[in-house]
Amino acid sequence: MNILVIEDNELNMKLFNDILKYLNYNVDCAYDGLEGFNKIKENNYNLIILDIQLPKLNGFDLLDKLKTENIKTPEIIIVSACAMDCDKQKAKEYNIDTYITKPIDIKNFLNIVKSKLGA
Amino acid sequence: MGNLNSKTLKLINKIIDFDDINNIKFYEKILLMVSKIYPKATLAIFFCEDVRFNLKVSNPKYKPFSIDKEDLYNFFNSDNEYEVVKYQKCDFFKKNTLFIKLSIQDSIFGLLALSADDDINEDIVEAFLTVSKILSYKIKDYELNEVFKMQLRAMQDAIAEKDDAYSVIKKQHKKLQEIDKTKSLFLANISHELRTPLNAIIGFSQALDSQIFGSLNDKQGEYIKDIQISGLHLLGMINEILDLSKLESNAMKFCPVELNPAVVINEVINILEPLYKNKNISVVFKNEFDGNIYADNQKFQQILYNLISNAIKFTPQNGKIEIHQLVKDKKYILKIKDNGIGIDKKYHSKIFKKFVHLNNVYSKNQTSTGLGLTITKELVKLHKGKITLESELNKGSCFTMEFSNIIR
Repeated sequence: MNILVIEDNELNMKLFNDILKYLNYNVDCAYDGLEGFNKIKENNYNLIILDIQLPKLNGFDLLDKLKTENIKTPEIIIVSACAMDCDKQKAKEYNIDTYITKPIDIKNFLNIVKSKLGA
Repeated sequence: MGNLNSKTLKLINKIIDFDDINNIKFYEKILLMVSKIYPKATLAIFFCEDVRFNLKVSNPKYKPFSIDKEDLYNFFNSDNEYEVVKYQKCDFFKKNTLFIKLSIQDSIFGLLALSADDDINEDIVEAFLTVSKILSYKIKDYELNEVFKMQLRAMQDAIAEKDDAYSVIKKQHKKLQEIDKTKSLFLANISHELRTPLNAIIGFSQALDSQIFGSLNDKQGEYIKDIQISGLHLLGMINEILDLSKLESNAMKFCPVELNPAVVINEVINILEPLYKNKNISVVFKNEFDGNIYADNQKFQQILYNLISNAIKFTPQNGKIEIHQLVKDKKYILKIKDNGIGIDKKYHSKIFKKFVHLNNVYSKNQTSTGLGLTITKELVKLHKGKITLESELNKGSCFTMEFSNIIR
C-alpha cells in the first residue's frame, strides 16, 4: 500500500512517516502543494494524507488542479490545523468526508487510515 | 350700513386669505389690506409694552411712536370695546381717531387706531370692530405660528444633532465590528499556529506511550503521560478560546432542534462515567419532566458536560451529584447540584467571568482553563435562558438554569 503525505511541517511529517511505516505502509513525502501534485501525477497512490495550508499550492487548489487536469485521485484524508467550520464545509464540497483536525489522536488516525485502505 | 357691511365682509375674506404672509412684513401687509376698507384714513397698530403703546406699524409709515395719553389708559382699562377721540393738533392722529382694543379671550395686547379728518360714523365703527377681531386672531395666529416655527427649528436642530451623534455611533460601531473581525481572524490564526506544534507534541508522546517503538520504564511512562495531559490541556484552552471568540462575535452557529433532554442527560452521564466512578461519586438523575425541548443538541450537551464535569472535579471521593430536571411556571428548569467543596459567596459574582480560577485543594491537580463557566453561560444565553449559582463553602454548589420558551 502506497501512501503520500503532503505536509509542510517537518516534525509533523516525521510523525506521520514513522507511525505509518510502523504499520508497514510505503510512505512518500511532499513538502508543498506543487510537489504533491507532481507526485500524484507521476505515481499511483492508494491514499493521500493532505494538509490544507501549504506553500506554493494549498490543499484545495491542489484538488482543483487535479480536477482540471483530469488526474484520477485516490482516497484522501485531510489533516488540517484549521478548526473553523468553513474548511470542513469546503472539504465536503470536494466530496471529502474525512477531515481530521490537528492535533490528531494517533490510534484514531491509524484506524481511519486502515479503514480507508480496506484493511 | 348694510352696504358697508357686505363690502367689509369681502375685504375681511381677503384678510383671512393671508396664508401667503409668512414673513416679517406681515403687519405691514395686514394693515394695507385693512386700509382698503377706508382708504382716506390713517391706520396704526400699537402693541402694549409696559405702560406705553408702541407703534408696531402704521399707514402711512411713521417713525417709531408711542402714545401715553391718560385717556387711552382709562379706555384701555374700561369695558368699552372702542373709543373715538377728537384731537385738535397732533403729529400723528388726524381730527377724529377711533381706537379699538385688540384682544384674544379678554386678554388685551394692543390697539388698532384709525384716524381721519371726516367724522367716524357708526357704520365705520361697526366694520372696524369686526376687522379688529379678525386682526386680533390673525396677529395671535401669526405669533403662535412664529413660536411654533421656532420650536420646530429647535426640534429640527435637536434631530440633526441626534443624527450626528447617531452617525458617530454608527461609525464607531463599524470600527468595532472591524476590530472584532480582526480579533476573530487573529484567534483563528493563533489556533492554527498552535495546533501544528501541538500535533507533534501530542502525537510523538502518544507514539511513545503506546510503546510501539520500544518499552518505557515507569518514570518515562509517567512523564510521557504528563506531557500528553499538558498537551491536551493546551488544546482544551485553544478550543475554548476559539469557542468564546465565536460566541462573543455572534459567529457561533445555533441550530435548535426538538430533542429529549433526558436522553442527552443520560448520554453525558455515560460519557463522564469513568471520571465519577474513579472518585466513587454517585450521580443521580432526578427526572420530573417527560417531554421534549427545542435546543441545539451539541450545545445543550456541552452545557451539561461542562457543569457535570465541573461538579465531578470539585466533589471529593464518595460524594454525590444530582441532576434534576423539572417544569415550573411553564419554564424548563435544570439543576446540577453537588455536595462538594462549594464556592465562597464573595466569589459568586466573579465565577462566570473569564479566566477565573478559585484556588483550592481539589483543583490543584485539575487542569482548568477558567473559561468553562463563561462559555456555559453564553451557551445558556444562546437558548435565551439564564444560569444562577447557589453555593456555600464546604456545603456544595447548585447551578440552576431556567429556560422560558424551549418546551415543546
